[in-house]
Amino acid sequence: MAFNYAQDGLVARVTELSKTYGDGAATITALDDVSIGLRQGDFTAIMGPSGSGKSTLMHIMAGLDSPTSGSVWLGDTDITALGDTQLTLLRRRRVGFVFQSFNLVPTLDVMGNILLPFELDGRRPNGDERAWIDQLVASLGLRDRVTHRPHALSGGQQQRVAIARALGTRPDLVFADEPTGNLDSRSGREVLSLLAAASTEYGQSIAMVTHDPIAASYADRILFLADGRVVHDRARSSAEEISSFMLSMESAA
Amino acid sequence: MRASLRDHRASVLVAALSSAFGVLLLEVTGALSTLVTADDIGRHAAVSVSLTIVAFVFLTIAVYVGAIVTTNTFATIIAGRTKTIALLRLIGSSSRQERRAVATEGFVVGLIGSALGAVAGVAAAFGAVRTMVGTGLIPDLAYEFFPPVLLVPVSIVFLTTWLSAWIGSRRVLQVTPLEAVGASQELSRDESDSRRGRTVAAIVLSIIGIVILVLGVLLGLVSQLGVLVGVVGGILSFTGLVLGAHLFMPTALQLAGRLMGSSAEARLAAANAVRYPERSSRMTIGLVIGITLITMFAVATQTFQDMIHEAMRADPQMYQGVDGVLSVLVTVFSVLIGFSALIAAVGMVNNLSLSVLQRQRELGLLRALGFTGGQVKRMIVVESAQYSIAAVGVGLLLGIAYGWAGAQALLGSIHGSPGLVIPSVPWLLLVLVVAAAATLTAVASVSPARRATRIAPVVALAVDS
Repeated sequence: MAFNYAQDGLVARVTELSKTYGDGAATITALDDVSIGLRQGDFTAIMGPSGSGKSTLMHIMAGLDSPTSGSVWLGDTDITALGDTQLTLLRRRRVGFVFQSFNLVPTLDVMGNILLPFELDGRRPNGDERAWIDQLVASLGLRDRVTHRPHALSGGQQQRVAIARALGTRPDLVFADEPTGNLDSRSGREVLSLLAAASTEYGQSIAMVTHDPIAASYADRILFLADGRVVHDRARSSAEEISSFMLSMESAA
Repeated sequence: MRASLRDHRASVLVAALSSAFGVLLLEVTGALSTLVTADDIGRHAAVSVSLTIVAFVFLTIAVYVGAIVTTNTFATIIAGRTKTIALLRLIGSSSRQERRAVATEGFVVGLIGSALGAVAGVAAAFGAVRTMVGTGLIPDLAYEFFPPVLLVPVSIVFLTTWLSAWIGSRRVLQVTPLEAVGASQELSRDESDSRRGRTVAAIVLSIIGIVILVLGVLLGLVSQLGVLVGVVGGILSFTGLVLGAHLFMPTALQLAGRLMGSSAEARLAAANAVRYPERSSRMTIGLVIGITLITMFAVATQTFQDMIHEAMRADPQMYQGVDGVLSVLVTVFSVLIGFSALIAAVGMVNNLSLSVLQRQRELGLLRALGFTGGQVKRMIVVESAQYSIAAVGVGLLLGIAYGWAGAQALLGSIHGSPGLVIPSVPWLLLVLVVAAAATLTAVASVSPARRATRIAPVVALAVDS
């Protein structure tokens, strides 16, 4: 299937995606015929209750898990059939991650963690990349912390390091999995503003999985999943609107 | 019992090896005594007693190394169980109850291990003697395979295993119920309270020991009694060094890490090896002891031989036939000590496996960020190489120093001796030790590396690992 992402303006898309676990009577359907596209430069939130398949969708789009059927594209690359090594290189160069539990390497200091994706590639950032990283470090307020180890940082600071690491390679797409789940509300709002700014100021495409309406209200677009299907697709909304839609979903079920 | 047998495979193996070693030594001693008695009745008692003493010296070394390995293994297992223990504490179990449960596991491990080892030791001795009788190598006498004295090594191994488990389970007391609730970070605290006292004891013992050792060497220049003073100094200083391993092993590991290059995986491996100084010191000290002892005996006998050769030129008749006896002795001793090194190696292999199991999430993160399976594998191999190289390096240095001091204290004063000599290191020893280190690195990293590459990157994203 030919697919021109520049023309469609999509950074990633999945078509007719299904994912089932187990077989026979014990089959669990995590994703059921999902087709979506994420727009270039958008901050997209993927919402849904526990078990709706939102995490599975993100894992598959990020090349961490493979679908049972359907196809997955990142830019103009069909990643559905890629082998482990190719997927690894793809994650290293074209995808960034921000996790719920911060997930920094404890033996490396802040700068070591931010530069890790370059190190994995066996190279040092060039002048242009170096300038970009310095800019990130400054705008994320980490300048005084570059030689600190993760355990000496607060949760909010650790998450900002993770964001700097994710943005450092200027990936096609950054995946954020409940990035505020382990943070107090003030640090959470800070992290969300930083993600939104990365999208508006630098045109960074971001896909964020969350169940928090406040977090989702920072996004340009919100996709709702339930029982493995996309049930709603709406533009930027307030936390109240998102909450009331989620409540209506609950009562409809 | 909630403990999986898998956790304790290495401890059972260590106990079984020690017990089999002890039983086999006594069986061989017994068979030799029977042989000697048949030859010459008068000398029986004396030979039997001195052989038994030698057997117990080597058994003690093996049990000592085994105890260090088992203590460390239990401490590592408990570090991995922190979450479960915290949960049980939360529900209302006391830390004493939890510790007692772990000690009970040590009791069972000791029982099974020492019994298995006893059976294996008796079977091996029986097989060996029967084979030698069958081929006519030794006469068919009334060899005794179940002397009551066998119970001594078996019970020593059982009791030390149990005791080691108890000491290793100390960590249980530090687990708080809160660790089950909070998104607890990785265990990073060291036993800092007990550490200060230990550091002081280690430094004091080392200094006193080294001073006595130097005195022994100096006294050795005028009298052979120097060796007795030297032995005291050697035991004291070595105990101090073992106690204070956390003071110098991290440095040795860092130096070994520098040899590994500057690729991302080498740098991460280097950082991992020194992440918990306490733990990596305990992990490697067993091997350091083994290598030190082997090197000490080899260097001592080689230096000894050189000095005898010097002396021979002055007085050829006096030293006839000494050469042959010496080389037999060094072979026998190396094999006996090598057994302790084997036990230490089992401990290191197991600890590396456990530490990989406990780092699942971190390895998953590296995979998610773009580490290839090959890079993860190389990282584990490099880490393993670092432990081996650091342990072997320190062991060689210590062994050469102690071996030289021993030979010097014993022979510095003999007729025709050149006085102070430089230590001579048998090149064969160096080759063997380096080969052993390479083998150990490979063996230690095979299964952890395979397991590490099987970790799915998704593990890193899971909220609960």
